Amino acid sequence: MINIRKNKVFMAVLYVLVFLLLAEWLTPVMSLTDTAHKSLFLIFIGLGLVMALAKVPWWISGPVKVLYVLWFIVYVYTGQAFFSNSSIVFLWSDFTANFIALTSQNWAETTDVFRTVLFFALLWMAVYLIHYWVSFRLSIFLFYLLTVVFIAVLDTFSPYTGDTAIIRIMVIGLMLAGLLHLARWIETHRIPAKIDKIAAYVIPLFLMVAASTAIALYLPKSGPIWPDPVPYITSFSGEAGSGPGTIGRIGYGVDDSQLGGSFIGDDTPVFRAEVEDGQYWKVESKDFYTTKGWRVTRNVGDKFVYNNEEQVDTDFTPGDPEQEATALLSMEQDFPFVLYPYGTKSFLMHETPDYEYDTADQRFDTFFEGDVFEPELYEVKFSEPSFSLTALRETSVEDLEELPSEFDRFVQLPEELPQRVRDLAVEITEGSDNVYDKTRAIERYFSNNNFEYSQQDIPVPEEGQDYVDQFLFETKRGYCDNFSTSMVVLLRSLDIPARWVKGFNEGELIRASDGPDIYEITNNNAHSWVEAYMPGVGWMLFEPTIGFTGAADVNFDLETGETTPEDVEMPDRPDPLQPEEPEVDAAAAEIAGPTIRARLNQFFTENKAKIVWTIIGSALLGALLYKMRSKWMPKVLIPYYRSRNGSAQTFEKAYLRLLKQLDLYGIKRRDGQTLRSYAAYIDSFFGTHEMSRLTSAYEQSVYGGNSNSVEWHELKESWENLINRTSG
Amino acid sequence: MKAQERLEQVIDNIEKVIIGKRNIAELSIVAMLSHGHVLLEDVPGVGKTMLVRALAKSVGADFKRIQFTPDLLPSDVIGVSIYNPKDMEFHFRPGPIMGNIVLADEINRTSPKTQSSLLEAMEEASVTIDGVTMQIPKPFFVMATQNPIEYEGTYPLPEAQLDRFLLKIKMGYPSSKEEMEVLSRSQISAPIENLQSVITLEELIKLQEEVKLIKVDDTIRAYIVELSRHTRTEPYVYLGVSPRGSIALMKSSQAYAMLKGRDYVTPDDVQHLAKFVFSHRIMLRSEARYDGVTAEEIVDRILAKTRVPVQRYVGQ
Repeated sequence: MINIRKNKVFMAVLYVLVFLLLAEWLTPVMSLTDTAHKSLFLIFIGLGLVMALAKVPWWISGPVKVLYVLWFIVYVYTGQAFFSNSSIVFLWSDFTANFIALTSQNWAETTDVFRTVLFFALLWMAVYLIHYWVSFRLSIFLFYLLTVVFIAVLDTFSPYTGDTAIIRIMVIGLMLAGLLHLARWIETHRIPAKIDKIAAYVIPLFLMVAASTAIALYLPKSGPIWPDPVPYITSFSGEAGSGPGTIGRIGYGVDDSQLGGSFIGDDTPVFRAEVEDGQYWKVESKDFYTTKGWRVTRNVGDKFVYNNEEQVDTDFTPGDPEQEATALLSMEQDFPFVLYPYGTKSFLMHETPDYEYDTADQRFDTFFEGDVFEPELYEVKFSEPSFSLTALRETSVEDLEELPSEFDRFVQLPEELPQRVRDLAVEITEGSDNVYDKTRAIERYFSNNNFEYSQQDIPVPEEGQDYVDQFLFETKRGYCDNFSTSMVVLLRSLDIPARWVKGFNEGELIRASDGPDIYEITNNNAHSWVEAYMPGVGWMLFEPTIGFTGAADVNFDLETGETTPEDVEMPDRPDPLQPEEPEVDAAAAEIAGPTIRARLNQFFTENKAKIVWTIIGSALLGALLYKMRSKWMPKVLIPYYRSRNGSAQTFEKAYLRLLKQLDLYGIKRRDGQTLRSYAAYIDSFFGTHEMSRLTSAYEQSVYGGNSNSVEWHELKESWENLINRTSG
Repeated sequence: MKAQERLEQVIDNIEKVIIGKRNIAELSIVAMLSHGHVLLEDVPGVGKTMLVRALAKSVGADFKRIQFTPDLLPSDVIGVSIYNPKDMEFHFRPGPIMGNIVLADEINRTSPKTQSSLLEAMEEASVTIDGVTMQIPKPFFVMATQNPIEYEGTYPLPEAQLDRFLLKIKMGYPSSKEEMEVLSRSQISAPIENLQSVITLEELIKLQEEVKLIKVDDTIRAYIVELSRHTRTEPYVYLGVSPRGSIALMKSSQAYAMLKGRDYVTPDDVQHLAKFVFSHRIMLRSEARYDGVTAEEIVDRILAKTRVPVQRYVGQ
């Protein structure tokens, strides 16, 4: 019997290559998700492959893998000895906690241990699938292709650099594909798997892969024909402001150097905030305007590290201590920093991370024991800052000149900035004599001069065109990024220090009754606004974007006696939408009729569409299942025939079933074709000899009338093997 | 199986002489095992005679040859009673038909009268002269040859007579490689001279009895009948295969199964032999000749369209 699959050395080489290929998958996943213990995961994969190679029965390999996973959990999460009471207690309590969380559908309350288990399950499945591909299908091409695509995509769209990985994958994959091709070839042509034959194939294969790799490495390489697709693609998905691109950019630190372009809304939740009033949630600011977008000047300012409940020092002094409020944030997406409202005093969370405040971009990065840490649930104490109108009105333009040099970066402007932008700033602020009024004038300028808020058809500035200039003078349409960037640029042209701030706006009030309000903040709420420095007062929040109401709380102090000008509209925060649904429900309940028949009628009339669609859906599903029956039938047939007794009748039925399956698979038997010639064809098609074996037993049973000689138990394996192939 | 080994030896033996014609040798043995006779149709010089002689030598049988000529008389075939004045009685002098293996060369050259005497002897395995019936020694196997290219002065066998032959075989030319091998083997001496018998006549007769015990399932019987019936409804066919043809197919299939070491007949056996059993039993319409359709093609067509039984036979 020719069976290269039984050659241990050959299969071991295949499995080693598979292991290396899987390791290439694991590496970027580990580094991008900050998962540690890569070697332990690799050991798990290796363990699975070795046991598959050694054909360890499932009732041994399964428990071994489960034990390994449990040991991993105990080792990584507690560091205790595995065979100890405390580890069992830990496992049990974690199991019950997750079980309760799952049964009560509190997905957010499942622990990391649960996610680890899921990841292991995923690895287990991957190992099993690849083992199946290699051992039974002798084909790895699909997986190979996926690996290349996976690494290429990660290399393009994430910080992961796959330069060397892609070379390793090419080499491993070519070797693997070549060896598997050899195995298939030997099987279909029934060539005796002699060592010299294998060597005659493998050595040239190895040399060819080595030579082509070497040549490819040493050949000169031209630069990319296409530009980096990331800015191009993100320009369509909404650069800043709101949109799906924002989160990925914040999370992965992709810059805002290319603003503009339209985007589509995305209501994926980012976090929930339990707070009395909706707040603007600041993430960071950017200070360097490039004519196309924003960058951060690095290595300026200091970094401060704070602990839980420690008073933090942002540029905003908290307001009235009596107004102190607490916000509870639960994150739906993971960021390695905390979001904070204006007037933040301190943070608190269950873990004890370091909150590292960088004065360069005012971001609070979180670290835990030196590693980047992604908080899930935390509390922020804050008191909204308030400003005295009197003090603001006393800010004089002359004071701006006396500002220390660290403010220089907040008045930076590119030299190419068109003069008309500077002229416009002067024009807008002509009637104001103090810094605050000038700033307010610019803030209000947009709402009074036919600017339009829109997320659609927003152009990206062309080569040599200024982003702000384009918005102010040409399009006059845009979203938060256009408004906020323009305001910063206008302010800076008047030497008023200003910076561009990114974060989230209030979000949507989703629960207003009993207890504090809960706001849900989605990707759509990603926002940008302006902070400007009022000499003698400090930094202040401004909101130039039409339709947004996040401006700072200005205390119209009484001593001035001045009447508030009509422009000091402090727009109220939007009234939380009163939930109307309950009433509707109540109304519906009243309609629910007196008799069962009426109720049924009502049910059918109300749900007519649903019922019709359900029927159509099930019919389609049924048709699809019928059409796909060749794919899933074997999964039903194998256990069925396994359970049957070993009589000749069972064998004959199973054999006829197999004929039907093969027919469905697409290998039709012609009317005049005998079973034997059909079997020979099937065997040459699949590269087996099992169909002929089954057929001669069947012939003996049916034509020879000698059913006693049939040993179903011995034939079962051949039958299962063939029927499995028909589902491929 | 022992029978198979013995028969394989015979075939191997024949192959020493006839190169590349294993199939023909197999078919000859099939005919011999099932008490049938073979009509060899082909041009002269492709080894027809050599085949028969090799077969005769391999089974250690008595080999006789009758060269058919237009002036051959029935008595020249079956023998003649001669008056012996000494004891005043007729003594039967057996003709060449009284052998185990008889080569009837160019059977279509002789008159129908002589032909029918041969065919009668073939059918009955006995000859009757002057009211006395004489049994022909067993086993009895006739291999008649017919030259298809000469029509001048020939008496083609009527279709009803053809039915008496179990199989009609065409030798065909050897391939160039085989022909070279033929040349090299016959350079010194004809290999036939050195051939030894590998099976005795008694063994052969025993095997002939054993063939009858090879199982023919109802499934196979139904398949054979179905094939025969299809020959009768085929549009090009004037006269289809008779029930005698069906019997011939069954018997030869049994012998073939034995040759392949099985004790039951499979559809493959039937398909393999159908062409040799049926093609000379089918009379084609003249349209078939116009369209260039041969009997062999008709049989192929029928084989392709008749459903091969794959399930246990369940009565109608």
